[in-house]
This record gives sequence, C-alpha cells and structure tokens, in this order.
Amino acid sequence: MITWQSVEVVFGTARVLGPISIHVSDGEWVGLIGPNGSGKSTLLRTALGLVEHSGTVSFSNGGGNSGTAAAWMPQRPRLPEAMGVADYVMLGRTPHIGYLGAESRRDVARVDDAMTTLAINELAHRPLSTLSGGEAQRTVLARALAQESRVLLLDEPTASLDIGHAIDVLEVVDRLRHDEGLTVITAVHDLTLAGRFADRLILLGDGVVHADGQVRDVLTEENLSAHYGTGVRVVHDDAGPVVIPSRSKR
Amino acid sequence: MRRTAFLAAIVLALAACGSAHATSTTAVKSAQSTSAQTPGVSTSTTAEVGDPAFPADIEDDNRTIRIDERPEAIISLSSTATEMLFAIGADTQVVAVDDQSNYPADAPMTDLSGFTPNLEAILAYEPDLVVITFDPGDLVAGLETADVPVLTFGGAATIDDVYRQMEALGRATGNADSAAAVIEGMQAELAEILAMSTSTGEGVTYYHEIDSTFYTATSSTFFGEIYSLFGMVNAADPADEDGAAFGYPQLSAEFVVSADPNIVFLADVLYGESAETVAARPGWDAMTAVQNGDIVELDSDVASRWGPRIVDFAQAVADALRQFYGG
Amino acid sequence: MTRAKPARLGPGAVAIGVLAMLGSALLGILVGSAGLGVGDVVLALLDGLPFVELNHGLTDIELSVLYEIRLPRVALGAIVGAVLAGAGAAYQGVFRNPLADPYLLGVAAGAGLGATVAFAWLGDGDLVPILAFVGGLGSVALTYMLGRSVGGRSVTSLILAGVAVAAFATAVQTFVLQRNVETLREVYSWILGRLTTVGWNEVLGLLPYAVVSLAVIFASRRLLDVLSLGDEEALALGVTVSRVRAVVVIAATLATAAAVAASGLIGFVGIIVPHTVRLLFGWSYRIIVPLSILFGAAFLMTADIAARTLVAPAELPIGVVTAFLGAPFFVLVLRTMRGPE
Repeated sequence: MITWQSVEVVFGTARVLGPISIHVSDGEWVGLIGPNGSGKSTLLRTALGLVEHSGTVSFSNGGGNSGTAAAWMPQRPRLPEAMGVADYVMLGRTPHIGYLGAESRRDVARVDDAMTTLAINELAHRPLSTLSGGEAQRTVLARALAQESRVLLLDEPTASLDIGHAIDVLEVVDRLRHDEGLTVITAVHDLTLAGRFADRLILLGDGVVHADGQVRDVLTEENLSAHYGTGVRVVHDDAGPVVIPSRSKR
Repeated sequence: MRRTAFLAAIVLALAACGSAHATSTTAVKSAQSTSAQTPGVSTSTTAEVGDPAFPADIEDDNRTIRIDERPEAIISLSSTATEMLFAIGADTQVVAVDDQSNYPADAPMTDLSGFTPNLEAILAYEPDLVVITFDPGDLVAGLETADVPVLTFGGAATIDDVYRQMEALGRATGNADSAAAVIEGMQAELAEILAMSTSTGEGVTYYHEIDSTFYTATSSTFFGEIYSLFGMVNAADPADEDGAAFGYPQLSAEFVVSADPNIVFLADVLYGESAETVAARPGWDAMTAVQNGDIVELDSDVASRWGPRIVDFAQAVADALRQFYGG
Repeated sequence: MTRAKPARLGPGAVAIGVLAMLGSALLGILVGSAGLGVGDVVLALLDGLPFVELNHGLTDIELSVLYEIRLPRVALGAIVGAVLAGAGAAYQGVFRNPLADPYLLGVAAGAGLGATVAFAWLGDGDLVPILAFVGGLGSVALTYMLGRSVGGRSVTSLILAGVAVAAFATAVQTFVLQRNVETLREVYSWILGRLTTVGWNEVLGLLPYAVVSLAVIFASRRLLDVLSLGDEEALALGVTVSRVRAVVVIAATLATAAAVAASGLIGFVGIIVPHTVRLLFGWSYRIIVPLSILFGAAFLMTADIAARTLVAPAELPIGVVTAFLGAPFFVLVLRTMRGPE
C-alpha cells in the first residue's frame, strides 16, 4: 500500500499540490481525476521521488522509490528514435538487472510476456520513431508491466488509444491486478472510462482533494460542474455513472 | 586557440606586406623640415652642423632611409642590433634597448618589447633613431608619422649580411670608421679560427637543434654557413632539399636518431635542454654522439644572434671539434 | 519497414574493430622517416619474442628507433585514441547530446592554460604534462562547482558553466601568450597535438588512467542506454542518475586530462568516432562504447601515420590531421548511412 502523508509541493511561490494525505490499500484501483493542472501528475511524481515535496510518501514494503516498488508510465515518455521496441521494453527490467549485470533468461521472458499481453509482439524490431501513437502507448505500458512492480502508476495510459484499444488495455491491467495482486493508480481524462475500471475515484482540484470515494459518489453532476467548470450531465447505466457533456442552449 | 594563431599569422603577414610597401617618407619629411627652417634659428641639437658624415642615406632591409644628423638618442628593439651598436662605438648614443637585449651587460635595458612594441612608450624616450628586426604591425608607420627614422635589419642570411648591417649602422650613427675596424677584426678572427681547425671538421656531420620540437637549421642558413666553413656536413640537409622550409625544417626524433650525426649542437639550452636531457630522450642513447658525449651546449644568445659574437659561435664550434676530434 | 538495430554487440563488429586496430598498429610500426626496411622490422619484432632467434638486418640504432621511438609512439596513439573516443561516447551518453565531446566541460582549455603557464612562466617543458593534467581537472572541477551553484542538477547549466570556464581559461592563456610571445611556437606545437618525444615512460604513465577509466565507462554502457530516456524516467527505473553521471564524468575526464597531458589537444576523435560507430553499427551504448574504443585507437594510429609521413621528416600536428581526415570521412558516413529518420 501507499501512503501520502501531508505532502505538499511548492514551485517558487506557487503551491502546486497539497497538503494531501491519502492512503491506498493493496490491490486497489484508484482513479485520479480532475481538471488540467489539478496536480494529478505531480501527485504521481511525488511517489516516484521525482519532485521535491514536504511530507512523506511511503510504500508498505518499505521501499521508498526504488524502481521495483512502483512502475511508472509517464504521460509524455521520451522515446529514443532508433531504439527497437523489444529493447525499449527491456529497459523496464533495469531495476532487476542492476548496474553491472546483464539480461537473464527471466528478463527476456518477462519482456516477452509483457509484449504478448499488449499484443505488440510483431512490433518487436520496429524503431520507436516508426510507431503510431497507439502502438507507442502500448509499448510504454509494456515497459511498465515488464518492471514487475507491485504498484502501477499510469499517467494517461489510454490518451492515444482508440476506444477499442483503450478498453482492451484497461481490461488487461485489471486482469493483471486480480491475478497478481497489483495496486493501480491511474490518471485518466475520460471520466466515464475512469469510473468503469477504478474501485475508487479521487477528484483533485487546485492541488487538493475535493472528493474521495466510491465512483458513483464522486462522479456527480454537482462535483463535476463545480470543478470542471462546465455543464455536465451524469446518467447511470447498469455498469455505473456515465458522464455526458452538455452543451449550453442557444 | 587556433583562431588566435591564425590571427597572429595574418597580423605578421600584413606587417610584412606593410613594411615592403612603405616609401621613404622619412627622407621626404626630413628634407621638407630642413627647408622650412627659420633662418637664424638652429634646429640642430648637437654640434654636428657641418658633420661630413651626415646627412647619410642608409639602406636597410626594405628601403633607403635618410638620416639628417648624428643620432644621440637611439633605441634598439633588436638584441642583435644592440650588440652591433655597442661593438661599433655607438654605446653613448643609445638611450634604451628592448627587454631581450641582455648583452652587453651595461646596455640600458628597458621594458620595451620588440615583439609587441608600444609606440607611445617608445616615443616617450624621444628617440632620433630606432632599430628593429621586423615590424610587428604599424610600428614603422607610427614612428614615421612621428618623424623618427627607423632602420629594419632582419636575420642575416650570410656572413656578409652581418658585415653589411654593421657597416650600415656604423654610417647611420657616425661611427663608420669604427665599424670598419670592427668588421676587419671579425674577419681576421674568423680566418684565424678556421686556420687552426684545418681539416678537423672536414666531413664531420652535425645536428643543430633550435628547440625541443626538433626544429633545425640546414646548411643554407646563416649558422649553417659558419658550420660549412669548417667543412662540416649538416645532417638535416636532406630534410629541406627543396628549400620549402626556408632552411628551418622540423625533424622527427626518428630522423635524427637514425641519421646519427657526429656532433649534436644545442641552441635551446635556454629552454631547458642539455646534454643530460638529450641523453634521456627515448632511443637517443643509441646515438654515437650521445654515447661519446659529443653534445655541445651552445650559449643560446650566441647561437641565435648574427652580430659581432658570431666569432664566439665559430670559436665554440672550433672548440668542440678540437675537444672531440683533436687538433 | 526499417528494422531497428538490436542492442547487442555482434561478434562481427568486434572482429572488424580488432582488425582495424591491429592493422593500424602494424602499419604504424612499419612506417617512419628512419627508413627501416619492412621485412627487417617484422623479423626484428619476431626476434623480440621469447625463445625466438632470428637474423634481422637492423643496426643497434635502428633497433633503438624501433623499440624506443616507434613502438611507444604507436602505443600512445592507440591509448590516446581509445581514451578520447571512449570518453567522447561516455559524454554523449551522459549528456544526451550528440555534440558532446571529451572537452565539453573545459578540459581542453584548462589543460591548454596549464601547458602555456609551464612553457611561458616556468620555462620548463618537463612540467607541461603535470600542469596540463592539473589544469584540465581544475577546469572541470570549476565547471562542476559553478554549474551546481547556479543551476542545481540541471545538465544545461553544467554545459553552460563549461563554456564559461573554457572561455575564461582561453582568455587567460591568450594573455599569457601575448606577454611571452617567444614561446608561441612551442605552445602551439603542443596545443595542436603531437605524439612525439614519447618513450615508454609517457605510455606507462597514461596507461593506468586509461585502463581504469575505460573500464568504468565500459561497465556503465548499459546505464547510458537507460539515461537516454531522460533523467526522470531513468530515476523512476531506479537509477541514481546524478551518481552515475558523476562517476562517468569523473572517469572520462581523468583519462582525458591524462591523455591531453601526454599528447596535447587532439580534436575530432571524441566526436567523430562515436558518431560514426553509431551510424554504422547501432544506437545502443553497448555497441558504441566498446567499438568507439577499438576504432578510436585505430583512427588515431592511422592519423599519426599520416602526420609522420605526409611531410616527412617534419611532422604535421596530429590535431590538424584528425580534422582533415575526420571531417570529410564523417560527411561521407553521414551521406551513405542515414539512420532511421
């Protein structure tokens, strides 16, 4: 599990995040939602030790932010042009290989598994610069999966995917979560999609938590209008809330 | 850094062009000022009105300069010229010499630089004659604007050049007779030194080292000529047969070692080279000259100046021959 | 559809590198202004092996030239070339910048200043290697402190600090030179690089730095690939980026300073060799680092052959040769092999 305790991030004189105290249990899937600039990515970064913050972030296995505690899928990953897909996914094994080691058969197997799971096997020898947006995104996720961490921090994992692929990918993550007991935190723009897969939603606004709870309790017209600043309607089907954009009447 | 070297090279090249194109404006200006003298007012500062030696037309490296009166405030920015001036009896006429003019010891050495001259500093001495070896850039033009005659005497190519320069300086300073006597003395001394070394030097090979990067002088240079008078053979001659290096080629360690010259002459003692450092160079201990200790540490000044002390240089060569080969 | 080069170093590439190195070394040993016969040299070398007795025609002097002048010179060329190319690859990986070369953080300017001071103020050529070494390391240390104090851990501020330190050192050096113009030729001869007046002493002096440093860089090659993801992602993958960067930079700089102290400033090797290797053999530092070391040695030994023979018995400054050889060759490589766009 992960615990953010009184975490605050300040850039210059602007308080970007916090104070925030959140506890995420093992096996939970938490969806982070909120308008642009609300601090979703920053919150994830504090867990990875990538941004200076006050307060503490701790993982239940004691590891702070060593590579194996949490696997990160960044919103804007850097993809070296000439690198091949398979070699890129292999980079996810870095925490397991160590400074002076070399890839083992197990590493190769894990990479294979991750690529199979995300159906990118036939892209194995393609240079990263030749991938489409969707292929690239699945590749980055494969790298995160190959890392074999107990925690997945996914920042906009489906932004470039069409709806079919988006659902496929999230189904995969959900399956892995149940099979291997992973904890997943995703920051997703698509509110309905977020609601479909997460157990719990945390609505961030201006760097603080405005709502935290069950999906149907957080995805309300009241909450969303207040923080997204536009008219939204929320209807329900048997799977849960559906957020519908509502255009202003002329 | 390469840019600075390039700029320095350009500056030197332009300076060379500049001095070559200079006209004898000094002569023209001097003539004009003489004719513009107010009658009854003497502008001469010395008692040489009527000195038959002046005005004198002196030929330097590039042009002919007219010197109106016997100079009494000479500045020398050339260590060789300093030696010449003091040898020919012009010492009382010299007011300042540059920072490299260390001989003779009583020459009035100053901070003036011949390499990076400061025009104002030079003019502060109110000179009436300045002697240089080369124009680093606009020096001649600047001095001429100030009506100061400048004589340029660059490195001698032959022994006769040395005599010619000394004779010119003699006439320029009103010491023509004294200069002639000194030249005769030098010629006599050289002849004596050579006579005493008959046949000892014949065929002896030598390597004359100018600096530790193996720059050397072939027999077509000034110092090479002196060695040749002894009949000695320059080991570096094959390296500049076409003269592309103007007599100063750069050799490699391999070349020198495999040429195995009989005698090694070091003209770079001032930069830290000595018989010991040469012997310590990797591979050089196989050379016969190193094994026999036939290495001569020349006085760096004597081995780089083309003035009255070329006699001393010839003596050093003769001494080396006598020491290593007897007779 | 183009196929990405794998991150593995193929045995074929290694073989080419080793052959290039051995070939250049052999050619370097056989060629020189002393005019030693090729056959005689080969026999003499073989005769040098234990238990081998062969009749070669070389005189004592020629043997001395071979063992005391030529062999150490070839060895120095190999070591300096390997160091400069290896350090260049390391710098490119650590700074994620294809224009990085071993002189990026001010080593060159600092070493040049040290050498100039030795020539001009102290008038002692023997002090040049020490002062060049100290000057080189000093500049990099200064760059590091300046960069840290101004920009924290930012790579950009480090590089900019390097530019500032280099400019300052060059200015001081020019000033000292101006005040001591008679040493101009000596200083420039050193600055343009030379493998001359070298005996086994210089080679053995450089060797430990080269071995240790290249070992560190070689061991870090996989991490350089991880660094290409950017500092953040590398950190998230568990790599202590600042530590890796410091270790690699220190190793590369130490060896570069030592190489510069031994042979002056030789440019182009540190940029051209790693880039050529990258274009010809692949993007991964697991390929670039080892092959840069091999080809760097070969390249510099070849350049030295040209430096020694083109205007024999005089020598071209080797820095000039690497520029002349390196630039057109690099353009050729660029034109024939464009990587995946």
